[in-house]
Amino acid sequence: MNAPMSLTLFCLGAVVLIPLLASALSVLLGSAARRVLGVLTSAAVLGLSAPILVRVTSGETLELALGGFESPLGITLRADGLSALFLAMTAIVGAVVSCYAAARPAATGKRLVAQTVEPATVTDGDHRAALTEDAPAAWRTGHAGFWPLWLGCWSGLNAVFVSGDLFNTYVGLELVGLTAVALVALGGREAWAAALRYLFIAVLGSLLFLIGVALIYSVTGTLDIIDSGEAITQLAAQGDADLAAVVLALCLISLGLALKVALVPLHGWLIPAHSSAPSAVSPLLSALVIKAALFVLLRAWLWVAGPLPELEILAWVLAGMGTAAILLGSVMALRQSRLKPLIAYSTVAQVGYWFLLLPLLLDPETSALEGQPGTTLEEGAVLAGALSGTVALALGHGLAKASLFLSAGHLKDLYSTDEITELRGAGRAHPMLVMSMGLSAVGLIGLPLSLGFSGKWLLATSAVAAGHYWILVVLVAGTLFSAAYLLKAVAPLLVMSEDDQTALTLPQAQNHPGASDRTLTGKAQLAPFLLGLLTVLTGFLGVWLTGVLEVGAPW
Amino acid sequence: MTGGVPAADLVLGVGLLASVLCTVLPHSRLAQSMGLLGLGVLTTLAWLRLGSVDVALAEAGIGGGILAALLVWVSVRSPAQPSPDAGTAPRWPWLRPAVGTLSAVTLILITAAVWLRAEQSLPAWDAAVTAAMDRTGVEHEITGVLLVFRFYDTLLESAVLMLTAVAVLALGREDVGPRAGLSAALGTQPSIPASLHWLIRVFAPALFLAGLWLLFAGSTDSGGAFQSGAVLCAVLILLRSAHVPLEKLTLRWLRPVLVAGVVAFILAALAHLSAPFSFPVLLGIEVLLTLGIAAGLYAIYLCLENPVQREVSA
Repeated sequence: MNAPMSLTLFCLGAVVLIPLLASALSVLLGSAARRVLGVLTSAAVLGLSAPILVRVTSGETLELALGGFESPLGITLRADGLSALFLAMTAIVGAVVSCYAAARPAATGKRLVAQTVEPATVTDGDHRAALTEDAPAAWRTGHAGFWPLWLGCWSGLNAVFVSGDLFNTYVGLELVGLTAVALVALGGREAWAAALRYLFIAVLGSLLFLIGVALIYSVTGTLDIIDSGEAITQLAAQGDADLAAVVLALCLISLGLALKVALVPLHGWLIPAHSSAPSAVSPLLSALVIKAALFVLLRAWLWVAGPLPELEILAWVLAGMGTAAILLGSVMALRQSRLKPLIAYSTVAQVGYWFLLLPLLLDPETSALEGQPGTTLEEGAVLAGALSGTVALALGHGLAKASLFLSAGHLKDLYSTDEITELRGAGRAHPMLVMSMGLSAVGLIGLPLSLGFSGKWLLATSAVAAGHYWILVVLVAGTLFSAAYLLKAVAPLLVMSEDDQTALTLPQAQNHPGASDRTLTGKAQLAPFLLGLLTVLTGFLGVWLTGVLEVGAPW
Repeated sequence: MTGGVPAADLVLGVGLLASVLCTVLPHSRLAQSMGLLGLGVLTTLAWLRLGSVDVALAEAGIGGGILAALLVWVSVRSPAQPSPDAGTAPRWPWLRPAVGTLSAVTLILITAAVWLRAEQSLPAWDAAVTAAMDRTGVEHEITGVLLVFRFYDTLLESAVLMLTAVAVLALGREDVGPRAGLSAALGTQPSIPASLHWLIRVFAPALFLAGLWLLFAGSTDSGGAFQSGAVLCAVLILLRSAHVPLEKLTLRWLRPVLVAGVVAFILAALAHLSAPFSFPVLLGIEVLLTLGIAAGLYAIYLCLENPVQREVSA
């Protein structure tokens, strides 16, 4: 019971609780103190995630039975390869975006202020005298409410990634969804409609997931992810058992999570929400928040339900929706004239890649290569390749999309517009921003060396091994499309005046109140650049990634 | 099932369906809110009938009480707002309800069929709960599950409530400081009849006591932080309606109380990651959580005032 707990296991609990504690405390602080606390918390989360990643990489699955109560009574926190990788990506992107938001408070949203200035003398006198109910209100840039909400969101993300329990996963998803909606609403009056729509979607998605969890619980009698997976495997082995409840549960869970990741045709909410969110929020939503739903989807399909043959229709339907997402999202991205909606549609397209592996899961035979000389594939190779390819694509998307949205939001804040035609030639004034956009485009297209390339390569090789050649066609089409729409976004910014005869006139940049703010803004450009650089550099990690994912893998 | 269904249950079931229709069908917001209020009462009775006293109390406090208070407030404040769909009249006005009903019926039929066919397996923790109850220091099993065995879920849920209040406050005026988000709410209240004023004076202390009883009875009987917090929030709303000056108290204490429960819970959890809480720690957390829940619900109520009235462009 009171066995000494290792430091790593403490990290497993603290990686959720420390950001939550910081979130609660920041409610009581002023703007500047919130920024300091936010950056300190980012450093703490990085420090807490690192030992988890190191221990998991060395081949150990970390488990912590909270309060000393083992499953099925208590809740177990569990970190395997999948958890550690998502945890690490979240820590990196979260820390970089936090530093960006601390350096540029204007990027955190818009707040309402009373127009009339109160005299300082009434602060502890009669409060009712200073009532401003009838005073007109005005919008100002910067919203310190970003900090408690984002730190709470971070805590929820980590809670989802280290959860070993289905109901607890639901609570984590609720925490993420609620704070994400509130973060969108920080974008001011015009973002409220998008936030409200997002709220309905997030709640509906959670509700469907919860019903699915209840169904699984009713047939397995446990909420623990590993235990319920074993119970379902036993049920399936009995032969005459009725698996309709499990199939329905997986349908509901997949539908609920597809709503939350915005899989076509359930993507309508994402465009207004991601493009009207403040500059520091869009990267978090696109890089991290939808990854939480993807993570739970992978858990449900691989760990809970296992490869049940009854799920084949559902797998093909979802893969079909994924293919449609790649095509439709790309076409819609090509039709956009503004930077942020274009990037949002690119998210819709990229989501499609993560669903292509589902038919492979149910048909992991290496039939296509059997009988050919020199091909000996060990069991689970197709599964491992498909999963690590998908995870690499998702992680690469997280880094690249965070960088792209940060750069686009930065340009939008500077020039009060994100019309691509008006931003022509912005590369001359902001070489570093446009450079980071270029780097993240390399990652999103999946050009060699980037993590996106490793992901596509791994997915393609396992698709070929299993004889699913259609995946190759989809991957090639998606790559060409993404090259087209990202060129459309980035190329006009790179235009130099010598290239053509048209004069380049950028819109008037918004003037900043102080010189110190200007230098901070300059330094803030380092954030997207760093993420862009990481997108390309992490491409070398493809093989390492496959190794890490073997830790605690279900095969 | 030999003796058939008791008449009282039939009446309750029909009443539930009727109150759902009363909530969905009317076009006036006020009528819809009243329908929901009735639905809350009947749902509470249904839970009581099913023997789930804890769920019934939570339903009465939060689902029926606080939610209805919020909705009534909104419908009184802005009764004639057009619905979002009213602007564009659909070509076939019957199409949406028809598709909705059809989908709902299909969904319910499929789910019910699967649910009835599935071999339900009993929760694997039944025996374990009984065996471990003496280690918890509480006697009521539901409290044991909520605060001891699965305390981590409760911790995250109380954080969800806290962050909801933070989110709602963030939509108001100002972003930091004691007045942040609250300035629109601290205006004068509409006057109420003297008889109601008198009634509130009588009821508020009794309700306050009831809230405390729910809190402390939770360790041995049904009740607990969420139900108690809802009742305490109702006391605050009543006092505010009766023009009791709460502004100073609200400005000074709302935020600290809102976060205190969650902060104490997290600190205790960090110290007890692999060992159960001791009873005094548990009780302290429960008291702070109750106050935090009451503060959170009250903050949501206060923030219903529209912050962008008389907005001018910056």
